[in-house]
Amino acid sequence: MNQTKVNKYLRSVSIIGVGCTPFMYTVDKEETNGLTDGEMFGYAALKAMEDAGVNPQDVDFYFHGEASPLNGSNYLTPNIQIANWFGMKGKASIHHSEACCTGYYAIEEAVNAVASGKYNCVLSGCVEFGDGVAVPGHPYKREKMTMERFLTTTAWLYDRAYTRSLMAGQELIYDDAAEWYKRTRGITDQEMDDTLNWMCINNRRNASKNELAIERTPYEDIAKEKGFDNVMDYMRSPYNPKMGDFLRAGGLELKCDGAAAVIVCATDMVDKYMGNKSHKPIEVLGVGCAAVEASNPHFEVRATEEAIRQVYEVTGVKPEEIDLFYANDFIITSHLIAAEIAGYLPYGEGWKYICEGRTAYDGDKPINTNGGRTSFGHAHAASGLADLYEAVRQMRGEAGEGQVKFTPKTTMLRGYGGAQNICTYIIRTID
Amino acid sequence: MAIVLEKVVETFYKNLEEGKITGKKCTKCGAVEFPPVYACNSCGCWDMEWVEISGKAKMHSIVMPAPLSSKPEYKALGKFAYGEIELEEGSRLNGVVRGINKKKRQEILAKGQLPVDVKAAIYQRDGYKTVVFDLVEE
Repeated sequence: MNQTKVNKYLRSVSIIGVGCTPFMYTVDKEETNGLTDGEMFGYAALKAMEDAGVNPQDVDFYFHGEASPLNGSNYLTPNIQIANWFGMKGKASIHHSEACCTGYYAIEEAVNAVASGKYNCVLSGCVEFGDGVAVPGHPYKREKMTMERFLTTTAWLYDRAYTRSLMAGQELIYDDAAEWYKRTRGITDQEMDDTLNWMCINNRRNASKNELAIERTPYEDIAKEKGFDNVMDYMRSPYNPKMGDFLRAGGLELKCDGAAAVIVCATDMVDKYMGNKSHKPIEVLGVGCAAVEASNPHFEVRATEEAIRQVYEVTGVKPEEIDLFYANDFIITSHLIAAEIAGYLPYGEGWKYICEGRTAYDGDKPINTNGGRTSFGHAHAASGLADLYEAVRQMRGEAGEGQVKFTPKTTMLRGYGGAQNICTYIIRTID
Repeated sequence: MAIVLEKVVETFYKNLEEGKITGKKCTKCGAVEFPPVYACNSCGCWDMEWVEISGKAKMHSIVMPAPLSSKPEYKALGKFAYGEIELEEGSRLNGVVRGINKKKRQEILAKGQLPVDVKAAIYQRDGYKTVVFDLVEE
């Protein structure tokens, strides 16, 4: 597999503000039914600016991410179609899509733009209507995304020339990582099943403490309601059916609607931009990226290995320095395999940490403290920046009931999507 | 060699119609790209020549189809699984292997037989032919 040598930034870049909408099914509630792209993206953008202490005129450029703008928003160039909404009329922007990895590349793009010296202060935001899609011909009405439409459009993620024809790459996304982990670590089918279930339980416990999460009822409560004394009996029951070779229904994303945004600026200009804001800036130490197309065996694993290799090499950070870890887990197996590849959990032992609850928000190795894609929800492009929003809250000690039991100083976030773009980065609080 | 604007994909599928499974071989390092593409992913050379694939291969992993990972049209394959395939020529790809069900997988894993021998076959889909693999039974 080809590798890339990543160089250090020309200047340091820091995160100074974050914003995020609740993740939701907008169509299902009167108060949210009819929300538009400009309203959702604009809310997240302005919340990030408010958090940073900047005015829209202070921001030089914005990046706009949306995984599937034609499908969800009836837009081809969504960055320009919302350009009047948040006080930046006339400022340049660009749209990007890396499917479910978009919200991670949102950081890569923004940091590069500032680190290069071209801009001093940049907004990067993402929005997605994964559940309530625009009704063409109407200014604000939306309708529920059917599963048939979702599957039709996600098929576009895969190479038309060969991968779709060969029939395997697009189907292996659900179970390849679980098969790889079970085989290479030598665990049993039952241990793999329990690990997948515990990731769901831990994610939900985390989400139960997060007011922006879409599903907050702990599995223990659901199990009791269905007549189960033991939550694992419920997780192994037909209420949580096998949808894949290993994967159960609870391990799949809850596709929904949402938006999130971040403000970054040159670290040596933090005082100028943040004014009287008291929170500490968080430096982006480095970003590693790789892409392995779905016809290649173990594409998520291989791309994750390369991206994580890059980010450790360029930052000099060691795995033992990582206090907090996030992984896009729309297939929940991802958060196990990414955490082990990163060395955040020890090789071959990660599944035990998960089954012992040590990766929940109140454990010693917390992962996805917002609830991940299976409980916080998955507004595809926006989810990556929602992870960052949560990481920043944790690193500032502002996560309320869901605050981890220590103040994380260094965090790694690993995004993936689009079968498979991988983008992983390390951030650290500046004292 | 000059870079040529070439219909590689169409040629690949036309070769299948003629009963030939083909890839592209790097004239510099000898690596074979399957399915065929413009440039070598091992050394970066773009001087590639067409080669016929022997069809001999090994399967390194086995994943069974399930409600999420199957389609109605796949029923025509009979019993099958997905997995990592390594061609005799060295290329690795995700492929479909016929002749494996859950019981057969259990047998293979219980005997520690991975990787197992498989053989490439030309398979008729709706409107075109593609490549699948068959388990080679001892």
